[in-house]
Amino acid sequence: MKALIYCTVIVGLVPVQSVLLSHLSVWGVKPDLGFVAVCLIGLIAGELDGLLVGLALGWAMSLFSAQDLISSVILKGAVGYIAGLAGRQVVYLSPVVLVMGLLVVSCVVGLVTPLALKLSPQQDLLWAAWMVVLPQACLDAVIGGAIYWLLWSRLNIEQVMSESRM
Amino acid sequence: MRMVNLRVSYNARRLALGLAVILVLGFLLLPGQLQSVFQSIGSPLGWVISWPLQAVAGIHDRIADIWGRYVALQGVEEENQQLKRELDLLKEQNGQLREASAATERLSALLEFKRQALPTSVAAQVIGRDIGNWYKTIILNKGASDGIQSDQGVITPAGVVGRIVKTTASTAVVLLVTDPNNAIAGLIQRTRDEGIVEGTTQGQARLKYIPLLSNARPGDHVVTSGLVGGFPRGIPIGTIIRIDKEEEALFQSAELSPEVDPNRVEDVLVIRSFPLPTEGERLSVPKPKP
Repeated sequence: MKALIYCTVIVGLVPVQSVLLSHLSVWGVKPDLGFVAVCLIGLIAGELDGLLVGLALGWAMSLFSAQDLISSVILKGAVGYIAGLAGRQVVYLSPVVLVMGLLVVSCVVGLVTPLALKLSPQQDLLWAAWMVVLPQACLDAVIGGAIYWLLWSRLNIEQVMSESRM
Repeated sequence: MRMVNLRVSYNARRLALGLAVILVLGFLLLPGQLQSVFQSIGSPLGWVISWPLQAVAGIHDRIADIWGRYVALQGVEEENQQLKRELDLLKEQNGQLREASAATERLSALLEFKRQALPTSVAAQVIGRDIGNWYKTIILNKGASDGIQSDQGVITPAGVVGRIVKTTASTAVVLLVTDPNNAIAGLIQRTRDEGIVEGTTQGQARLKYIPLLSNARPGDHVVTSGLVGGFPRGIPIGTIIRIDKEEEALFQSAELSPEVDPNRVEDVLVIRSFPLPTEGERLSVPKPKP
């Protein structure tokens, strides 16, 4: 069942991200649903699930982007693994804390990405921070927080987290 | 509600974790080889993902069509009148240009372009946009199984769209001409000065490395030079809107307004091959037709 959910997430996220999200972009910046999904999976299901789903999602997303395979796979895998480790350290996680956490992690990943991609000199770190990283981090945090709040208000999230990690 | 757990033993988890670490280390130590292996393995995965992708794109197009036909009709009559006026003006300009071109050397250049512009090309539809924020790309519904490969040029009748950077079996990713990481060999049509066209972060394009002595000016058209890349000579890229000339600089550059609006492009042609002119052919004077 869990594997089926992960496969659906991997196969379904690419069309949503590439077709629908271009209409929901704010100032030309779209949220990274892959990042949000990997964070939540790592947080809820543990570091191994986060890592494996991150690697697979990074691979699938790189097939439909100009981003190179290595940076996409390693960054998504690392995010899933770190989210899993972070989830292991907390007993109770409120949506507000999750939003702040997603904001910080998305900013860090966003600042590492242009260095990993070797972008054009026009796209320097200052440009990246103001034009892409910060707006995308805000969108990621809001969407991640909303999804987590839905799960949190309808499920016993602590129980799901402890069961998933067994 | 309980989430069904796929229980794995501690050893299996350690093994999976170990394999993942080896994979990541492999990526760091052998980036080129592993990347090409995963790119080729990923082709079937891309094919699987392309089905929901095309389905979502189809639904999206249908909704957009209904919206465009029935909902977003406000101001259409006024726009129609304005377009008619513009069409009349363009017709007049077009007639003048046809008359002028018939008497000058540009006719021979146009004939040369016509000969070159008969490459084998593949028509494709745009089914998606880049999934991230770092690149400006579009996704096409044709891929490696249709003969599309990396570095092939993508055009519309209006001009250059970009070039292919990645393919799966049934999709292809096009890096747009407005992306700062793209570089296309360009030529100012009037002055014949060559340069490199790059995208800008503002969604425009820039022609770099124009010689200082060039008398290029706003309004000049820039076309592909046909020297390198997947484009034949003479495909429109953009129109110069501003010349930037810095003191003590070795070259000047020009800001372009692209001929094709990449955000609105729906159908494109992928140039699979075209006869690349040799250096001798390129430099020689065009021969008059008998």
